[in-house]
Amino acid sequence: MNNYQSKKQSEQPDLDQLIHDAREPLNRISMQAEMIKLVLENSMPIEKAIDAVNKIIVSCQACSQTLEQLSKVAKNQAN
Amino acid sequence: MLKILLVDDDAEFTEVACHIIEFLGHDICTASCLQEAYEWLENNTFDHILLDFMLPDGSGLHLIDHIKKSNHDPYITLITGHPLVKGLLAGLCGPKVNYIAKPLQREDLEHALTQQSTPTPSKKSNSSLPKKHFGCLIGESAAMQEVYTMISRIALTKANVMLLGESGVGKELVAQAIHTASNSVTNNEAELVATNCGALAKDLITSELFGHEKGAFTGAISKKDGVFLRAGNGTLFLDEVTEMPRDMQPNLLRVLETNRVTPLGGTKEIEVNCRVISATNRSIEEIAQSKVLREDIYFRLAVFPINIPPLRKRKEDIPLLAAAFLGELNEEYHRTYQWNATQIQRLIDYDWPGNIREMRHAIHRAFIMAAPNGTSLALPKDFRSPFSSISEKKHSLSAGRTIEDVERELIKVTLVDVEGNKSLAAKMLGISIKTLYNRLHAYGEFEE
Repeated sequence: MNNYQSKKQSEQPDLDQLIHDAREPLNRISMQAEMIKLVLENSMPIEKAIDAVNKIIVSCQACSQTLEQLSKVAKNQAN
Repeated sequence: MLKILLVDDDAEFTEVACHIIEFLGHDICTASCLQEAYEWLENNTFDHILLDFMLPDGSGLHLIDHIKKSNHDPYITLITGHPLVKGLLAGLCGPKVNYIAKPLQREDLEHALTQQSTPTPSKKSNSSLPKKHFGCLIGESAAMQEVYTMISRIALTKANVMLLGESGVGKELVAQAIHTASNSVTNNEAELVATNCGALAKDLITSELFGHEKGAFTGAISKKDGVFLRAGNGTLFLDEVTEMPRDMQPNLLRVLETNRVTPLGGTKEIEVNCRVISATNRSIEEIAQSKVLREDIYFRLAVFPINIPPLRKRKEDIPLLAAAFLGELNEEYHRTYQWNATQIQRLIDYDWPGNIREMRHAIHRAFIMAAPNGTSLALPKDFRSPFSSISEKKHSLSAGRTIEDVERELIKVTLVDVEGNKSLAAKMLGISIKTLYNRLHAYGEFEE
């Protein structure tokens, strides 16, 4: 459960919180990409790179979901 | 090899960061909450703590407080994603606390850990100072990021730039930034030559801009190169360009069109190849309405106009700017004053009509007024200056006010301007003196 989900139960999330929540998967993506670079530059086992790629895909989905929530809140606020 | 404690509740990030930090040759332990971090610190000492700002059982700042109370003195790098938090940290952190922003890259981690292992006192204090873009611009707000992008793009060309912005927003620094960025693109050391068109006597403008030959006029005892020639392949900065007399503008237009100058009293045209950056504190609408600048010259100068945002439109940059200004003063006077959160909030709450120049002046004043043996500045109770109240009045016309309210203020301002002379005020307002008296009686705040 991310911060947004936990907050959702008690109050309407604000944009800053959602932006914060979107940065978390981006942070993971960035670090996993660095991991892939390490693997490729240092001839480490390819499985580590594949594992990192799979985690990037999962984080992309998580980021996308948060952005959708962010879009809904932004539209609500605009109305 | 450093012994590092990573405190972060994101398990995936923690795992991958451990791999990378171990690869960099360091020993790392992890904690997913404050409680776990306290337990690690109870029986271990660490050289460096990488600390997430938001944790499930509190803020990273709680851990900093805990460490300060203990005998440990590790370096601390806060990991944050919120721009305002970044700004506050830059204003509050001491020499052994810095921050890195999400999303992280390997080099961010390397940089944070390398600073720790090169303990030169001056470098340590600088590490907590905000980043200077192009060596001179401070700010991470969206508005400034847009300006940085424009500077990067314009640096690839030789197009003329016009900088628009209120007084005190830092137009000369933006000109310097464009010049620096252009030099790094072309990989040369061309010069930046600046001149203020509003400060030049009308008779001397031609000579200042284009130069003169010996004997060209009385007093021209030797040949002089104008600013266009002195700028060479670099940048010519024409500040307050809209203050240049209109009848002098055709000469400038000709140079901008032909890229050739003829010095006063000279017979040969000389080729010039500099970029012209001009600046004005008038808005585009004002330039067009008041016709202070010919239309043809405007389009030559403003091939690429850049609007520099006023400070009130980028308040998240205030803590960064405050930290930078205080850092410079501390370095110059060998002091160690620091901001506290209340002071930073007061700086954010004020609108700074005089922009960065006004804020810098207020900080300098607070620095001078601070107790010599103290640790914090003495901010004044009220930041407003005579100039800012005039500026506030200028901007008082805004949507949402009633006509009666605006009329009342206009009458009041006019009376102040004419030192209470009601006949003159009525004439200026375009109403009869009887109507003015009727209004004043209705308001009930002015005496006959």
